[in-house]
Amino acid sequence: MRRRTHLDRQRRAGLLFVLPALAYFGFVFLVPLVESVIASFYRTVPGGASRFVGLRLYEKVLTDSTFWQSVRNTLTLLAWSAPATIVLALIVALGLHRLTSVRWRSVWGAMYFLPFSVSLVAAALIWQWIYDPVYGLLNYLLGFAGIPPQKWLQSLDQVLPALAVTNIWVRLGFDTMVFLAGLQSIPAEYYEAAEIDGASRWQCLRRLTLPLLNPQILMLSILELIFNFKIFDQVYATTQGGPAGASQTVIMLLYDTAFKYFRLGDASVMAVFVFATLLAVTLVQWRVLRRPVEY
Amino acid sequence: MRRPPPLGRAVAVALVTAGALVVFFPLFWMAVTSLKTPPELQRVPLRIEPDRWTNLDNYREVFARQPFGRFLLNSALVASVSAVSSALVSSLAGYGFAKFQFPGRQLFFFSIVGILMVPFQSVVVPLYLWVSRFGLLDTYLGILAPDLVSVFGVFLMRQAIEVVPSDYIHAARIDGAGELAIFWRVILPTVRPAVATLVIIKFMWTWNELFWPLVVVNSPSMKLVTLGLVSLTNMYFIEYNLVTAAAVLSILPILAIFLLGQKWIVRAVVMSGLKG
Repeated sequence: MRRRTHLDRQRRAGLLFVLPALAYFGFVFLVPLVESVIASFYRTVPGGASRFVGLRLYEKVLTDSTFWQSVRNTLTLLAWSAPATIVLALIVALGLHRLTSVRWRSVWGAMYFLPFSVSLVAAALIWQWIYDPVYGLLNYLLGFAGIPPQKWLQSLDQVLPALAVTNIWVRLGFDTMVFLAGLQSIPAEYYEAAEIDGASRWQCLRRLTLPLLNPQILMLSILELIFNFKIFDQVYATTQGGPAGASQTVIMLLYDTAFKYFRLGDASVMAVFVFATLLAVTLVQWRVLRRPVEY
Repeated sequence: MRRPPPLGRAVAVALVTAGALVVFFPLFWMAVTSLKTPPELQRVPLRIEPDRWTNLDNYREVFARQPFGRFLLNSALVASVSAVSSALVSSLAGYGFAKFQFPGRQLFFFSIVGILMVPFQSVVVPLYLWVSRFGLLDTYLGILAPDLVSVFGVFLMRQAIEVVPSDYIHAARIDGAGELAIFWRVILPTVRPAVATLVIIKFMWTWNELFWPLVVVNSPSMKLVTLGLVSLTNMYFIEYNLVTAAAVLSILPILAIFLLGQKWIVRAVVMSGLKG
């Protein structure tokens, strides 16, 4: 009898502890998410009244070439930055891991990690100044190699790779830290055993290190995908989607649609699209890349 | 113990060092640009160092053009409240999830972690309408609305509290301590490093945020640093000497916190990385 009341009290206490967080997330995320889905079926006419239109808005947005252009731009940017960030981070982490002095490792590690603390706005503006077609440092340096000044952020072809460099700069340190932690958790005996078996350094990397880093690679590719898919700050602060829509990303378009043109229904369709896409891709990535790792 | 040949290690050291310098350079470039005059920016051939290392005119100009001090204060206030509130609510929830059995525990926990999958932009329009309905546009509370608790925080605190021996809690209960008192006097002090991590990271995130403040803030007096920074570029001709000075101002506080708390931040990264 006493035991029961004790358990009941425990249950109540546990629920009460998690209740503030649950209520908060419910109000701030779940309710709005459901509302987003509902709003994507309604067209709001000027004046405030809204009318149920079924899938009409989906039809409108999903057949709009501007929308697909923004999806293409986002994917291109993603393709430029995510793999490069992960590969570079792996290289840096392998290099840092070979530094025997713990102090130097943490000093250099901090250097790579610094840009992570900088706001995306500031990062984008620093790079915009480096990219400046007339007075920028990059064109100045390329001038020594005899390369004529490029327009970078103002060029249709170069704007996405140029933005990708900013992304890589911001994210490199984070990914490096994750890899470094992964490397440090691999037992040294594995390498000793491999060495006794006469494995070359390359074989060690391919057959031992990379498979054991699989969880980190999986997590980073998911995180990079999400980060790049949601790219907004850098674009808003620099090109605003230009030149001629060449750097218009999905979230940039969503922002303009909702808060510049106040077409909330259209924006909700995009919101649902972003949510569904990220969810689907994450699940697929999870299934494909996930392999059990045993240390 | 495996000893790589010295040459290989020297090459690795050289490459890692070169890379670190390349990564660091843009920050250095920002700092020196903020000390230059407009004619210096346009000088050919370009010079790396400013004519006068003590030239703070750009900084004065940033404060003269805009209430930048106010922006810094706004950001500091919003980021602090968001960090403290996240730490508190997340710790409470983390404790509940880690040490109590109650119906729906798993379901609730996974629905919270599932929110990590919901991009903020997918909920921003309804959230904006709610904030506007409550008359919170252009207020601190409105800016803070989506940042008072963090999903990552709940996750982090649950992980941290799970490894606290349950004996501590039982002992305190036998001594007749109430549940809240146990949380406050036993749990929180034990997981202080995790709380510090969360406070630092959340402060950083909120300080650096752009999207939501852009949506809810209208009046100049409510602007945050990121908004002030953006508004310096809303002209045809961008004065990079001013932009970089403002950027330095926006980065310095966060950089100080970052360097002081680096150990904890790396810990959090590692934690989220390994458990991901």
